[in-house]
Amino acid sequence: MIDFILSKYNYWIYIILMMIGFYAMIGKKNLIKKIIGINIFQTAIILFFVSTASKRGGTLPIIEHAHGHAAQSVHAAAYINPLPHVLMLTAIVVMVSTLGVALAIVMNIYRRYDTLEEDEILKLRR
Amino acid sequence: MRALALLTVILTGILLCFGTQDMPDWGDPNSPASVHVSPRYIEKTLEETATPNVVTSVLADYRGYDTLGETTVIFTAGVSCILVLRKRRRKQT
Amino acid sequence: MITQSPVLVVVIPLIAAFLTLLLGWWKKGLCYPIVLLALALSFLSSFQTLHTVITSGPISYHLGGWPPPWGIEYAVDHLNAFVLVIVSFVSLVVAVFSKRSVEQELPDKIVYFYCILLLQVTGLLGIVVTGDMFNLYVFLEIASLAGYALIAIGEDGAPFASFNYVIFGTIGACFYLLGVGYLYISTGSLNMADLSQMLPDLYQSKVVLVAFAFFMVGVSLKMALFPLHVWLPDAYTYAPSTVSALLAPLMTKVGAYVMIRVLFTVFKPHFSIELIPATAILGWMAAGAILFGAIMALAQVDLKRMLTYILVSEVGYIALGVGLANRNGLTGAILHILNDSFMMLALFLVVGAIMYRYGKREIPQLRYLHRKMPFTMAAFVIAALSVIGIPPTCGFFSKWYLILGAIDANQWVFVAVLLISSLLNVVLFFRVIEHAYLEPEEVHAGGGSELAIATEEAPFSMLMPILVAAAGIMVFGVLSGKIISTVIQFAVPGYF
Repeated sequence: MIDFILSKYNYWIYIILMMIGFYAMIGKKNLIKKIIGINIFQTAIILFFVSTASKRGGTLPIIEHAHGHAAQSVHAAAYINPLPHVLMLTAIVVMVSTLGVALAIVMNIYRRYDTLEEDEILKLRR
Repeated sequence: MRALALLTVILTGILLCFGTQDMPDWGDPNSPASVHVSPRYIEKTLEETATPNVVTSVLADYRGYDTLGETTVIFTAGVSCILVLRKRRRKQT
Repeated sequence: MITQSPVLVVVIPLIAAFLTLLLGWWKKGLCYPIVLLALALSFLSSFQTLHTVITSGPISYHLGGWPPPWGIEYAVDHLNAFVLVIVSFVSLVVAVFSKRSVEQELPDKIVYFYCILLLQVTGLLGIVVTGDMFNLYVFLEIASLAGYALIAIGEDGAPFASFNYVIFGTIGACFYLLGVGYLYISTGSLNMADLSQMLPDLYQSKVVLVAFAFFMVGVSLKMALFPLHVWLPDAYTYAPSTVSALLAPLMTKVGAYVMIRVLFTVFKPHFSIELIPATAILGWMAAGAILFGAIMALAQVDLKRMLTYILVSEVGYIALGVGLANRNGLTGAILHILNDSFMMLALFLVVGAIMYRYGKREIPQLRYLHRKMPFTMAAFVIAALSVIGIPPTCGFFSKWYLILGAIDANQWVFVAVLLISSLLNVVLFFRVIEHAYLEPEEVHAGGGSELAIATEEAPFSMLMPILVAAAGIMVFGVLSGKIISTVIQFAVPGYF
């Protein structure tokens, strides 16, 4: 049991982080807190993907002594998995873009209603 | 409303914890993700793309279309911000 | 050029979006022709793709020349090509409509609006044509970001409705990404065909089960399936008319396409129907969607809001067809993707024309419209008949297949739900038609019809798309048999 918890501890960390972000997204009333929740939620997913890439004893996926040693064979087990890192570069960009558009929309809301609390906006909208 | 949100969060968390039982351990070199697709990227990157940095060769060559999509996402976000934030000029009547 | 047609469908609107921005800064009048040209070329490419798929079978296009699963693959089969043609044609029709409407509602943002419109269409086309799970996520985010901005520039309540959509849409997309991550960690591959071969050995794994659950919830959020539909009525009511006419027919149908792909191509039908009762749960939520949409639509005074609740109901029809999990049900669902796109297109274009002429759209204020806008209201009546399901409009045929499928599956509750919803739709549309056509004439003291109501029909660039949509409804109804035998019969997975 202790071994089960300890050997997969990266997954427990990301689950806790993701649930904090998820609660902030749907449970809070302030619009900026919701956006921070989106950010935490997406960061936790990125953490999950990147943690699947690691290998015990592996190093960064940059082939050493590349130029000049053409016939040297490369063992995949000596380098960590590069594919999740690539996917997460794209996901980080998507996260920042979503943050930008969400903040622009919140600025538009603030110009119109002069408040950032969801219940006050709903009252003003009636 | 907060109770409903808390309940949703707890249920999702329990579902996720349930799902981690069959996951490979952290750092396992024989996990399915390390064995199926990515060994070819590491082993063949020098002969096929002449780039020692494997992440660059995957990002720009093997999965370059995703990078095109990513730059389109940035472009879309930029023009979206202009579209949303642009103030309407007062009409002279 | 012909062998490149799957990619040209996506790349032409993308390049045209950049060109629109650059040339539009120089001369504003150049935007509209570029948009029309790009969408017309994209439609021709998608039609060429469908033709190739019908004559020589599914296409597999390797981007960059790398074989899958190491590179990205575009796998186009009958279902793909069918939805691709629908998306590109509907966006072309809406683009023709958009000129007058955008000039009136958004006069100082025309260049940026057309750029984001093209990017939205690029995103939707990219979702449909791809065969790689992560590539689908990237294009889903392109379509989503463009959608958030397009909705936020609407009327008074639009930014807050769009923010609500941001929250729900981000949850949906992130759940989809989480599902992709879970499948990756258990198989190591991102390609749909590769996953469908590797997953059957892993059906007992809990990781795969949780991945499936997250996929279903994420796609249901994007598709606005009851009870996760709460973002849809506000977002599509307050958006500008062109944006509602573009997003309402397309975004939900593309979501339904992704659901069919995940349920039956990535996870084999054996998993989705027998190992987990996913299709059974989907069927019950769909029945709830159909009834909820119809009942809530009865309570609305605003015509556009009523149409958004009908949209919730229509998404329920497609989900019901998928949930029945037999050949007739799936045929009805895929045929309904085509029919519902044209019905919603016609309805929202009519509301856009009414907004352009009169600026108001409450149902009691639609009096005498059959005299003022005869052709527009005629198109509205044709679309209304199709939603109710009266032959020979196309809506009848998809409902017919859905009822046949429900009878095949011995689900008499679903048959009852389908028939009750048709009755509710009759009541719904009769309210509108009564106000527009049958209001008693006011007789003035001066005698005679003093109110010589002039025909203020919508301008030609708006009227032509409305008539094309209405004609499409009738034509596809008559040609339903041919469409099913050439395309849909092969689009239904072979298991059924």
